[in-house]
Amino acid sequence: MNAGVRTRRLASGLLGRAAGGGSVLFVSASITFIALHIMPGDPVMAMLGGPTADPSPAAIAAARHEYGLDRPLAVQYGLYLWRLLHGDLGVSFSQHMRVAAVLREQAGPTIVLTLSALAASWIVALLSVLVTTRRNRWLDGAAASVETVGASLPHFWLGIVLLWVFAFRLQWLPPAGNSLAALILPTVSLAIPLGGFIGRVTRDSFAAALDQPFVLSARTRGLSDWQVRVLHVLRHAVLPGLGLSAWAVAALLGNAVVVETIFSRRGIGRQLFEAVSMQDMPLASGIVLFVTCLYVIASLLIEMLSALIDPRLQGARR
Amino acid sequence: MRAEHRGRAARLAVLSALVAVAGCHRPRTSVASKGPLRGGTLVYATDREPICLDPHVAGDMPQVFVAEQYLDRLVSMDRDGHIRPWLASSWDISPDGRSYTFHLRHDVSFTDGTPLTAEAVRANLDQMRDPHTQSTTAGGYIRQYVGTDVLDAHTAVVHLSRPYAAFLEVLAQGFLGIESPRALARSRDDNCQSPVGSGPFRIVRWDHQSDIVFARNPDYHRAPPTARHQGPAYLDGIVWKFIPEPQVRFASLQAGELDVIDNLPPEDELPAAKNPELRLLVADRPGNPTHGMLDTRRAPFNDIRVREAFVCSADIDGALSSVFFGRYRRAGGPLSPTTPFYSPDFEHAKDYDPLRADRLLDEAGWRRGPDGIRERHGVRLVVEIPERASLAPADRTLWEQVQATARQTGFDVRLEPMSDTQANQRVADWDDDVALGYWNTNTADVLRIVFGSAFLGRTGIGGHHQNNSGFSDPAYDRIMEAALETRDAARRRVLYHQAQAIISSRYLQITTYPQTTRLAIRSDVHGVRIEPSLGVTSLYDAWLSR
Repeated sequence: MNAGVRTRRLASGLLGRAAGGGSVLFVSASITFIALHIMPGDPVMAMLGGPTADPSPAAIAAARHEYGLDRPLAVQYGLYLWRLLHGDLGVSFSQHMRVAAVLREQAGPTIVLTLSALAASWIVALLSVLVTTRRNRWLDGAAASVETVGASLPHFWLGIVLLWVFAFRLQWLPPAGNSLAALILPTVSLAIPLGGFIGRVTRDSFAAALDQPFVLSARTRGLSDWQVRVLHVLRHAVLPGLGLSAWAVAALLGNAVVVETIFSRRGIGRQLFEAVSMQDMPLASGIVLFVTCLYVIASLLIEMLSALIDPRLQGARR
Repeated sequence: MRAEHRGRAARLAVLSALVAVAGCHRPRTSVASKGPLRGGTLVYATDREPICLDPHVAGDMPQVFVAEQYLDRLVSMDRDGHIRPWLASSWDISPDGRSYTFHLRHDVSFTDGTPLTAEAVRANLDQMRDPHTQSTTAGGYIRQYVGTDVLDAHTAVVHLSRPYAAFLEVLAQGFLGIESPRALARSRDDNCQSPVGSGPFRIVRWDHQSDIVFARNPDYHRAPPTARHQGPAYLDGIVWKFIPEPQVRFASLQAGELDVIDNLPPEDELPAAKNPELRLLVADRPGNPTHGMLDTRRAPFNDIRVREAFVCSADIDGALSSVFFGRYRRAGGPLSPTTPFYSPDFEHAKDYDPLRADRLLDEAGWRRGPDGIRERHGVRLVVEIPERASLAPADRTLWEQVQATARQTGFDVRLEPMSDTQANQRVADWDDDVALGYWNTNTADVLRIVFGSAFLGRTGIGGHHQNNSGFSDPAYDRIMEAALETRDAARRRVLYHQAQAIISSRYLQITTYPQTTRLAIRSDVHGVRIEPSLGVTSLYDAWLSR
């Protein structure tokens, strides 16, 4: 393979990926737009109608005009896409702020929570797999069962239980807020199910890798069991779990809706819930697009990481 | 005591059941003291975050709670409903009741340094009326506003299109607080983030979905007559947190991380009352109480006998004692007891009376079917109640009790959960039988908005209307108009009594309990007050002994 071929392949790969990401964004923007317009109810009334509201016809008309809601749906859709193309996410009418400003304020805490939950899941999963797989039948089986149970626990239930035990009863950790200590419980409630899941997947591939001939050859070269596990087997075993991690990022961002509400954390999850219930189209679609972007980026990063770990993948994919 | 609580709370949310047994707390040191101490930061937590800190925009209750801390009003209202001075030291009203001349204090500045002038009054009222402001509460209350003439720097003449005796009353509400005209001159959305007033605190920062930080206004010296002291506030500042989960709010208070919480859920009231480190402060809000409004525009509630039967079949007192542990009082009439011109004569006009309900339905031709539900001409006696997602759990349970007791009389009550916007639309389209709601305001004129024929979908677009009963009676409308044309209190009392009598006798709503402000306060926090115009927390007099 000469340098020219490699560059061309790289360029076409990047182009393809950009086109793929763009179409994912376009589809998710369109679905959000359609979904929020199918929902029964009137966003202007949501905006103007508190329980003690008496909007004048002029106020209703002005709000409709201000947000372009008095135009035909097709025109609204076209304008929406046109603005998106120019990087303009619009103005949230439930927050009285630009959508970009809301994202700037709220995205950080959600990303921190997602990353800490992802990291915690991997740490839990790897520890469990490295320590217990094929150690003895009993230990292996018990750890696998714990992982299965963990994977099946709903995060919102875990959140409530953790809140009760560690915040209300023992009072070791704050029940709400945005401090570092307040990050622990939401992280754990997201990391236990995900860690169990990654652990379960990694355990199978870890066991399979232990049977490979290279393990035997490594052992004959005099490496200790731990060296074999960490340096050789793990490298093969993490790939399936790593592939799942892009999906896991998307799932964590989705679960943030519930967890941020339970723990009264700020973030785009809780904000998305409010935006949808207010039928705040610009904000809801802005958050959805942002999350889609994160997913696209996470997929790309994880693919690169996989290739780094297993050089065979570099040639195999575009 | 613990087991008993656990048993009772089990019917409510899982979370509440879990928390009811968690009674421990982190001890705090507290010093005994005789008088108010200066200094310290009070941490307050509430459930809902305002969408805009300028209470003129939209106008929902969370906004007016924030406004109370940083805005003053032209006039104030005391516990007896009398209008007293505030930013306006006095006022004259023209004989035709259409011009109000306000004489402003000369010594007031907003916290951005702008002086209070007649121009500021004009800028505020003009902004509330401007459709672009999206003012639905303040703007709705001053529909009669025409314009303001600036006579001199401190004299403003406000012109109304017609006599409006409730004008001073609504001006005393936090929704109509006076803001710095310089801050108002910015865009609406900018002003939403950082409005400026002349009140005891100023807004320092708003971290969305987290908190608002207030700092003391050191130059404050114009507390309303309802306040307990003069001069600057005692507190250095306030952290105003948003914690949507009621149990998390209560647990954080018990743990000593918060000083005051509001919207204490009913199931936490008894534990709070028994905790020596906590104190409860409860006040009714004026207006039309929490209710289910019966839609008279369609069957079966187009028949007054069926309406009366439904009202009599609902055991509200029983529901209040079980769901709300007897800690909420009943509101039986069309006005909450703290509303000016409220009459107690109608409190028991609609008490639980299943026998009367049965008799009325028999008369109206509704016969019991095989499953106990009544029918007429093959049509079942169905009552559809859209339940908005934001309805509090206790209110949900209350209406389930209504459903259960009304069923014994033969009503098939269907509680239909849906999103808030969907519920709004159903009510707007008159596609409901009962619309759940309330209306907080400090004037009996609320009965004109909630039952007047002018409020039947006049807004045109989307069919939104404030009169959700469909009630329309020219004689009633004339009484409500007449009450606005006179400033003679005795005459207004007579007219508003007639109005309450008419509404009560038409069985247009099931009223349940007055809207209330319910605070739980730590014992080392003193002087927290609930102001009378809307029952809003004021932290101006508050101080800490620690």
